[in-house]
Amino acid sequence: MSIDSFHTIILPLKDKLFRLAYSIVKDQAEAEDILQDLLLKLWSRKEEWNGIENLEAYCFRATKNLALDKLASLTLRKTVIPDSEKEALYFVDTHSPHHEMVRKEQRTAILRSIEELPENQRLVFQLREIEGMSYREIAEVLSISEELVKVSLFRARKRMKDLLTGYGES
Amino acid sequence: MANHNRQIETLLNKYWNCETSVQEEKELREYFSQPGLPEELEQYASLFTYIEKEQSVTLSAGFDQRLETLLKEADRKKYVTIRIFAPVLRIAASVLLIGGLGISLFFISRQHNKPWFVETYDDPNAALQQATYALEKLSDALRVSEEASIQTIQTIDNLDIDWTTLDSLGLDEVTADSITSVATDDDTPKGGTILSIGKREGSI
Repeated sequence: MSIDSFHTIILPLKDKLFRLAYSIVKDQAEAEDILQDLLLKLWSRKEEWNGIENLEAYCFRATKNLALDKLASLTLRKTVIPDSEKEALYFVDTHSPHHEMVRKEQRTAILRSIEELPENQRLVFQLREIEGMSYREIAEVLSISEELVKVSLFRARKRMKDLLTGYGES
Repeated sequence: MANHNRQIETLLNKYWNCETSVQEEKELREYFSQPGLPEELEQYASLFTYIEKEQSVTLSAGFDQRLETLLKEADRKKYVTIRIFAPVLRIAASVLLIGGLGISLFFISRQHNKPWFVETYDDPNAALQQATYALEKLSDALRVSEEASIQTIQTIDNLDIDWTTLDSLGLDEVTADSITSVATDDDTPKGGTILSIGKREGSI
């Protein structure tokens, strides 16, 4: 059963886990290292999986903790510089130059304010918006109540809304 | 189109209130990713495009391969460690087994060799003296108890019991009936006390 569940449960999660780690450490290489560490650890302790109730939630929690540890150990926290190549690819669209400029500014502002969110709100935002998980799943993964998930998400979204409305007015 | 926009606005309001489903949120993202949005909705576009962009973040191409090599390596390492340690463990186990057996055999044989009696006196005279002393003590104790029992018998004799009444109770052929009759008989309390006195004196 063990080896099967590694391939059917854990490996399909690798992109999600990677994005979660990435959202915390904001560095492709570091995030990949974290994921690699986690998967290796899980692989070398196959026997213990049977004792884990919800393997999926366990993986998310472990990734979150590893990433937070890593973040704390990184003495120099890298500032977020949007990948210019991806940026160019993304804004190749047909918007007016003015809109394009505003969007670019907003994007930086969004990145910054997501980084400024309290940890719980940021994680909930990440899991809901990026990974499209249900409130229940998020509650399980972060081991908090569903109510708290909703409250955190509401606050995070409100912050985004305030930020963007402010841009529109100015 | 205007109708559709109103729909989006309702959806957007639901979104801010965290009432949208995952599916509806996907619809919103799809809507905001298209060009030519109305002015009042344009301001929110960057949030949804940001989310879409983040969703497309993936592992670098070589990750799977690297992971596979690492996993294989981990397995091989495990195998190697077992091969190195198994013979050592076997030797350790056999040494322990032999050692344990040896020690237990040694103790068992030592127990068998123990003599039943151990000579504690070097001088035969001292031993004789001790033995005599012990035997005298024993005979003393026996004499005291003998005197006590004689005294008891004398006390019983002095009580001047009418033995014939006791004999007539027919205690030799005890039946259930005779026991109840003894219990109701006037003489029995007396007999009971006599017996208890005899007992007490004998035990002194």
